[in-house]
Amino acid sequence: MSSKRKKTIFDELKALLGSRVRADDMELQLYGKDSSVLSGVPSTVCFPLDAEEVQGIVNICNRFQRPFIARGSGTGLAGGAVPVGNPVIISTAKMNKILDIDLEDRIAWVEPGVLNLDLSKALKEFGFHFAPDPSSQQVCSIGGNVANNSGGPHCLAYGVTTSHVLAAEVVLPNAEIVTLGGIDPEPTGYDLRGLFIGSEGTMGIATKIAVRLTPNPPDVRTLLLDFADVSDGALAVSAIINAGIIPAALEMMDHNAIGMIEAFVHAGYPVEAAAVLLVELDGLSGAVEAAVETIKDVAKIHNAGSVRIAKDETERALLWKGRKNAFGAVARIKPDYYLHDTVVPRSKLVEVLNQVYQAADKYDLIAINVFHAGDGNLHPILAYDAREPGILERVHSAGDAIIKASMDAGGVLSGEHGIGLEKRDFMHLLFSAHDMFTQDLIREAFDPQGLANPLKILPSGSRCSDSFKQHVPEGVWV
Amino acid sequence: MSKNFKVSLGIDEDALASCVSCGLCLPHCPTYRVTQEETASPRGRIALMRQVEAAGVADDTFISFMDACIQCRGCETACPSGVPFGPMMETTREALADQTSYQPRYRRLGYSVLGMPRLLALGSRLIAVLQRLRLIPSRLALPRIPLRQTKLKASGDDVWLFTGCIMDAWMRDTHAAVKRVVESTGAGVRLPGNEAGCCGALHVHAGLTLKAKKLANKVIEAFPGTNPILVDSAGCGAQLKDYGHLLGTTKAAAFSSRVFDVHEWLAENLDKLPKINSDEPPVIVQDPCHLRHVQRSHEAVRLVMNQYIGTIELDDDGLCCGAGGAYSSLHPETAAEVRTRKLESINRSGGTNVVSANPGCMLHLQQAGVSIQHPLELVDSIIARAMKRE
Ligand SMILES: Cc1cc2nc3c(=O)[nH]c(=O)nc-3n(C[C@H](O)[C@H](O)[C@H](O)COP(=O)(O)OP(=O)(O)OC[C@H]3O[C@@H](n4cnc5c(N)ncnc54)[C@H](O)[C@@H]3O)c2cc1C
Ligand code: SF4
Ligand code: SF4
Repeated sequence: MSSKRKKTIFDELKALLGSRVRADDMELQLYGKDSSVLSGVPSTVCFPLDAEEVQGIVNICNRFQRPFIARGSGTGLAGGAVPVGNPVIISTAKMNKILDIDLEDRIAWVEPGVLNLDLSKALKEFGFHFAPDPSSQQVCSIGGNVANNSGGPHCLAYGVTTSHVLAAEVVLPNAEIVTLGGIDPEPTGYDLRGLFIGSEGTMGIATKIAVRLTPNPPDVRTLLLDFADVSDGALAVSAIINAGIIPAALEMMDHNAIGMIEAFVHAGYPVEAAAVLLVELDGLSGAVEAAVETIKDVAKIHNAGSVRIAKDETERALLWKGRKNAFGAVARIKPDYYLHDTVVPRSKLVEVLNQVYQAADKYDLIAINVFHAGDGNLHPILAYDAREPGILERVHSAGDAIIKASMDAGGVLSGEHGIGLEKRDFMHLLFSAHDMFTQDLIREAFDPQGLANPLKILPSGSRCSDSFKQHVPEGVWV
Repeated sequence: MSKNFKVSLGIDEDALASCVSCGLCLPHCPTYRVTQEETASPRGRIALMRQVEAAGVADDTFISFMDACIQCRGCETACPSGVPFGPMMETTREALADQTSYQPRYRRLGYSVLGMPRLLALGSRLIAVLQRLRLIPSRLALPRIPLRQTKLKASGDDVWLFTGCIMDAWMRDTHAAVKRVVESTGAGVRLPGNEAGCCGALHVHAGLTLKAKKLANKVIEAFPGTNPILVDSAGCGAQLKDYGHLLGTTKAAAFSSRVFDVHEWLAENLDKLPKINSDEPPVIVQDPCHLRHVQRSHEAVRLVMNQYIGTIELDDDGLCCGAGGAYSSLHPETAAEVRTRKLESINRSGGTNVVSANPGCMLHLQQAGVSIQHPLELVDSIIARAMKRE
């Protein structure tokens, strides 16, 4: 090849990163997927080690007008990290250092690729943890948590990611490095930090994150209530909150979920039950004791079969292991799943759950419900085998029905998994054209060239569209 | 770009479909932990298998991705969907060994020696002599091999002790200690002759299934009767327990059902172990992957140890130490990086002395300066010291 050959984007990335840039076909395909059902193929995968390298990559992408997508651990459930438009994938996985732990101010600075649970484990010896605990916490990255404003079972009492992130160093889409937010309690000016959290990589790439440390509670009690009727369980959820208790976590699992979870953890989940509630109470011992008694009363009124109280940390950990591995255990029923993430008012839980089961029945699918009941965040899983002909149409029809039921009940589209690619074309159900136009303006202010994770969250041009399938961009497979 | 060649992996279709790509296995995979790359993760490896199975072609890059797996099977215990990763990887390697140049002649030859006890003993003695003459470079990281080995003598026929290949040639003292602990329960120990030899685990890992089957048949013949067969090497134990599946015969299945990790057997006979009050400081338990993730009987080690000594747990959820049978010789760099994580965890634990029920892990960690023993070597020494006091 002649030395005067025009340099390709790959050449330039290679000059910057050496062996940490890849374009082998097989490898590229692995970075075409996250934990959702969608997939695409990127042009290149980069593994930067610090903010300067991320900046370098973004600069190169700007010069070549090539889209770029940040990727953490690839556990997103909405296709946020799925490549569209032949992009460069910027993996933050090797940026995984905990930079500083400041116990006095209760802040830690971490790189985006630090795994959520690794952070809490590192904080354990000091008596602290990072409160947002997505069920994927053993593997998802803090950067991904920030980008999706992720929640978790314990966010019922503690709030989601945005309540626990004080500042972020960000490489903006124009390759400028800025720090959004600050460690002072009330930063002046617009809360750009708040805007960035939940922006799913469309407003730049977080390269350092300041997280708030939460002290471990003095006392914790974990209870498992079982019900012979799903509706009783759902009613008990509201009853617990109405009794004035805000549990640290309040999770519901239905019969199908219990079966697949128990097959993995052997924690003694009641496989006969129609539903169980996993309730966690934390705080000072006296208050926790009193709350346990109240919950026992509620359980009786709502026909709970039994109330099991974890006797020690091992039993507690085992019960949680079951809950946290639920999505991953679906293949025990069917090898593929499509998952929704709507939030409905607690008072409508019974009604919407019934509609979920009806939708599954109508399209001859299996519905599995395992979700954050305390804040009405449903996670109906439609389990299927993609090898069955015609199955995808049925899955999408049932999904549409579930979304419609949730919206009709006054709910929202996504509780915590983000919009990404998968829920993008449902946005018009929630927002008017004017709303979406305004959101697009905000996005443009950050990314006028449209290179940062394009075609995610907002439909392109933010025009309304009706059906999910028709609008999946070219090059993406479901 | 490397050359493509035709290949059919022959992995069970349902097994291949059973991965939902959730990624929950990633942090439990040693090679992902040190690379942070999908190609070195269980999820990635499964996706690669799917690609190759669908296309019917592979290339050297694919082989190198498959070969970089330690086959520790930590992903299996972590996977909520029960994806049978170990068998899938074994099938893949068998197909690669059969259909491609994955296992070159010289490597096959090396594996063959394991099944030839006399040659192995001779070779080992040669290495031992060369080591004394300082002619073996230390970067080869071989353990110091004994010049002379005392012969083990049978003491009855209540249980068998499986002695294996490398371990018998290099670490017979461990067998001797294990034997004494078993005997301390009152049981008589029977030994297979020289003909039992190698269990074939390394052959299965390398994809040399046919050879492994031959070895399995030989082993089965060497253990007549119905008495339990005790194994003090987690890797060998896992393999012997799998003979039923490997050979698919009722005879092999019956053999496998007689196999116990020696700790499993002792845990059932705790009341027969000598009662001793010892005030030893607690010891760190490092679980061999093939005990924890394959046999899933690592708790038994604690039950036995705790009769005599306290145990300290590591905080890495049973992440592999990097030994992986032949892995540490074939991939020394990755193996050392994986080991570094283990060393860090050992440092954090507050303990100093480690026990591990697998010769491979012992050697691999010893080379990094860890003070490590087989759990039953420690128990044996505690019992011996107490006897002396009396
Ligand atoms: C089994 C399972 C259980 C789950 N449970 C929960 C749950 O309880 N609650 C919940 O909220 N979610 C849950 N999720 C979804 C998912 O784990 C979270 O959304 C998680 O935060 C994603 O993190 P990640 O590192 O995998 O991100 P990825 O999937 O890699 O990326 C997600 C999005 O973040 C962007 N991104 C990643 N890193 C950066 C960065 N540094 N800067 C800017 N943008 C970035 C990507 O471009 C993408 O749009 C679950 C997923 C699975 C598979
Ligand atoms: S192997 Fe299991 S844990 Fe790993 S990604 Fe697949 S389903 Fe999830
Ligand atoms: S067997 Fe071990 S090294 Fe191989 S993919 Fe599974 S966890 Fe990783």
